[in-house]
Amino acid sequence: MSDITSGHMAVPTAIPIPSVIIATSSAAWFYLHQGLSKLPGGHHVISYIEKATQDDPYRTAVEASLILYGIYYYLSKPQQKKGLQSNRPNLSKQEIDSLIDEWEPEPIVIPPINDKETQETYWRLSKIPIIENHGISKYIDFTRDDNKESFENVLNLASNNFLSLSETEEVLQVAKDTIKNYGVGACGPAGFYGNQDVHYNLEYTLAEFFGTESCCLYGQDFAVSSSVIPAFTKRGDVIVADDQVSLAVQNALQLSRSTVYYFQHNNMESLEELLEQLNDQERKENLPAIPRKFIVTEGLFHNSGDVAPLPQLVELKRKYKYRLFVDETLSLGVLGNTGRGLPEQFNLDRSTSIDITVGSMATAFGSSGGFVLGDTFMSEYQHIGSNAYCFSASLPAYTTTVVDKILHIMDNDNSTVLNLQKLSRTMFHFFNSRVQLNEYFNITSSEFSPVLHLELKESKRIERFGYSKDTLFTELANLQKRKISDVFIEPFENEEIFLQQIVDSILVNHNILISRHTIVLKQETLPIVPSLRISCTASMTEDELLTACENIITTINKLCTA
Amino acid sequence: MCIGEPMDPHTKRENEYGTLTDSKYLHQVTTMDSEMASRRPIIDTPPYYITLMTYLNYLILIILGHIRDFFGIRFQQKSHRDIMEYNGYAPWYSKFESFYVRRLKMRIDDCFARPTTGVPGRFITCVERLSHNHNEIHTFPGNTQTCLNLSSYNYLGFAESEGECTSAALKAVEKYGVQSGGPRTQIGTSDLQIQTERMIADFVGKEDAMIFSMGYSTNANFFNAFLDSKCLVISDELNHTSIRTGVRLSGAAVRTFKHGDMDLLEKLIRDQIVMGQPKTNRPWKKILLCVEGLYSMEGTLCNLPKLIELKKKYKCYLFVDEAHSIGAMGPTGRGVCEIFGVDPKDVDILMGTFTKSFGAAGGYIACDKWVIDRLRLDMTTPNYSEPTPPPVLAQIIASLETIIGKINPGEGTERLQRIAFNSRYLRLGLQRLGFIVYGNADSPVIPMLLYCPSKMPAFSRMMLQRRIAVVVVAYPATPLIESRVRFCMSSSLTKEDIDYLLRHVSEVGEKLFLKLNSGKSSYDNSIQRWDIEDVIKYTPEDCKNNKFFVN
Repeated sequence: MSDITSGHMAVPTAIPIPSVIIATSSAAWFYLHQGLSKLPGGHHVISYIEKATQDDPYRTAVEASLILYGIYYYLSKPQQKKGLQSNRPNLSKQEIDSLIDEWEPEPIVIPPINDKETQETYWRLSKIPIIENHGISKYIDFTRDDNKESFENVLNLASNNFLSLSETEEVLQVAKDTIKNYGVGACGPAGFYGNQDVHYNLEYTLAEFFGTESCCLYGQDFAVSSSVIPAFTKRGDVIVADDQVSLAVQNALQLSRSTVYYFQHNNMESLEELLEQLNDQERKENLPAIPRKFIVTEGLFHNSGDVAPLPQLVELKRKYKYRLFVDETLSLGVLGNTGRGLPEQFNLDRSTSIDITVGSMATAFGSSGGFVLGDTFMSEYQHIGSNAYCFSASLPAYTTTVVDKILHIMDNDNSTVLNLQKLSRTMFHFFNSRVQLNEYFNITSSEFSPVLHLELKESKRIERFGYSKDTLFTELANLQKRKISDVFIEPFENEEIFLQQIVDSILVNHNILISRHTIVLKQETLPIVPSLRISCTASMTEDELLTACENIITTINKLCTA
Repeated sequence: MCIGEPMDPHTKRENEYGTLTDSKYLHQVTTMDSEMASRRPIIDTPPYYITLMTYLNYLILIILGHIRDFFGIRFQQKSHRDIMEYNGYAPWYSKFESFYVRRLKMRIDDCFARPTTGVPGRFITCVERLSHNHNEIHTFPGNTQTCLNLSSYNYLGFAESEGECTSAALKAVEKYGVQSGGPRTQIGTSDLQIQTERMIADFVGKEDAMIFSMGYSTNANFFNAFLDSKCLVISDELNHTSIRTGVRLSGAAVRTFKHGDMDLLEKLIRDQIVMGQPKTNRPWKKILLCVEGLYSMEGTLCNLPKLIELKKKYKCYLFVDEAHSIGAMGPTGRGVCEIFGVDPKDVDILMGTFTKSFGAAGGYIACDKWVIDRLRLDMTTPNYSEPTPPPVLAQIIASLETIIGKINPGEGTERLQRIAFNSRYLRLGLQRLGFIVYGNADSPVIPMLLYCPSKMPAFSRMMLQRRIAVVVVAYPATPLIESRVRFCMSSSLTKEDIDYLLRHVSEVGEKLFLKLNSGKSSYDNSIQRWDIEDVIKYTPEDCKNNKFFVN
């Protein structure tokens, strides 16, 4: 300060450079010059450097240091990567070896520990009916528990083949004709010569039957949802799902990478509130592009047999610009006057109301495989974007011609569908009218569902087994969070055993097969409780069904009051 | 349904499964000796200018694509609706993600998903199609072309419209119907299912097995039954998408190792046991090694003896996906365990599919009985999903019985010997002609490298003109620059069919400049450029000799 004010300013004519730097840079320049002059085109570089140094030597210095830093950075990359994992302890080889020796993994799956344990979990296996010598039809013969139990001429109230059309002779003839012309397997994925003309024909027929632009076939119904949703969702996309969706959809949501919100089961106020909130949130965030937004629900709920309120859903989806995904695995061929599913039930047009429909050919249509209905853009994209479509072999040809035939039959004659609906309604009202039964059990399914779900009343569950839907879910979520391999919750098991007793008693006393709603508790991520499922098929007569229902109710009442 | 003109039974039979022309054209595979098993595959590489050309090729395509996108979005909004926001809705897929499909794959879409009709046997009937707007819409003039089939996974030729398998399937339709009822645990288990499970377990040499109606779903819904985020999966980088999806669903941590590199794998296992879970450094609950028996895009085998050694040494579990190797490989078709002569009991989980060698559909998982019992309870597929339908089960049973010689003794062996001969003949033939071919000597999957993406449609179309159906594969199924054609061999082809194929591949290869073999992976380390006549003359004998194969 004082120097400046006093005027004694000694401004150097040039900034002094240490001689070391001058010496090294001259040497570097000498060798570089030598090297470059040998290279073709090197003299351009030399003249550039010479000229630049003359004009602005500091720029050259900066450039040179940048180049040096670049080289340093390039060479030091692997070391840097190591640096990121710096919490690695510095262990000697002996220490590493002993750590490896010490490591004791868990068994690959939970082993059965003792006889009690075996009974506690493995009783389920011995209750699986093994049908002998004939297909699944109205009356079946089967054995259980390694041939220890055997039953004959049992009325089958457990099948998913609701329409039973694939049991008819004309349909079987189509299957046989196809096998005679195409063999069984398609021997290739759809992209590589696996899709035959019959596959394309069926895609066309399905799209036409259900009134959408396009359709896409899959090898298994359970795999469809978990492949379609992730194909169209990325991080940042929004999914709003019903909180009682089936496991197939839960898996899909898990794989979707998107942000998932749940609304209360079939509660449209809850949904609207959620959508409104999300809308506000989105407005605040001011995103550069609109995220993809989906409402995810089911047609006929797999876990309860409920019907989704489509008109309200469609209204909300339009209002908030969401796309609607409906898993219609159980409802296609069942709902609507001609079996065209949920939209027909509510007199809506499928192509304008539902954006993605997932259907199954293994339920009401009695064949195999699944499919997705929707517009052309979406269908086409699945051919490359949906894993279960493009990395899996096409369906056997006969499965497609069978469905084709069944759709043809349904198109001409909807009496089977109407008959099934009549039976469903009869069954529903019959159960619903029984006061004593209703003291113990809730009927969660709708009157349109051919699958009747009987769920123990919450109060009775607490009384009898000491847990409720909420406590079960809390406990389950806790186990899942802690990643406990063995998810064993005793009260739940006890209720399952109780329900199985009902099934067994009905089977032994009345020769009728119903089933528990089989769930794998450790895989479920949403609240769920055990239930009984009774399914009717169109091949039954009303009398048969009513007699059976009467017997079922008597047995249940007897066991509940005991 | 497209039913062709009635054909006389003999021609029909020949079209599906060619009769063996000479008993010379058979080869009995033997178990590998330890020297062969320990060999590391030698991968031939193309000259640098080919790599450069390939990148240039992509560059041009990508630039053109972006130009088209740029103008398309501005001036042809109607036809670009799929990638634009519309009416307040986000597009189904983003412009960037779908770029490859829209601008690259679309141009050559005529080479993919060709519709076929009838049996995918020795010959496959392709339905002709035309497109007037760059493959957006195809029209079908109604003609069909009968092509030599090198595209179907019909390894043992069980895709037939008559014969034991087909009559078994037909009988099953009569006896059991076509439907599967409902989930296995509710109603879907029949004696046929039990029988098939028993047979496949015996066949692969495990205590018990489970079968599923779809191969992809077998894997995709398998790992969540016993893995969680405290478990580690060490996976080969080239594992199939189904395995990756399954592991992702389970939430398990994943580390990948370079395809087939056992040293890296060992290092990784040691590292992971020491380091444990990220952040917490707690030890992993279990470590599962996931590999495929035969890699369907490379034709390479996993190094099973080494894997078993590692698994035992480090107490890991081993999962082997035998989707392509079961049935088609090994002295008696028992897959990769048999090739290496290892005991199947040493592999914890054997998985496979029925789509390929058995001409059916679905998949299986074979393990110890106590493991299977637990999986039946914990897996989602048997509890929620449809089971395998009866005709498919009948096909599996009949084809398995043929392989083990219970039906038509001798037929199964002949099929196995034919595919072994055919695979070796084509592989050595292609190598001698000068092509770069990947994979193991006995692999029925024979990938031949094309490199430039534009050579894919050229090759595929030229082969179709010559009435040969081939599969061309590119990124993302392969590394970006290694576009390839994949020949899938079958027992149903005769030696003469392969002669025909070799002649045409040679000719097309000449035109497309595909003979790039540097000799690196040939037995005498010399550049191979044989004349086609010599190849056909000497290779059928030579191909039976192991010394001519490096891998």
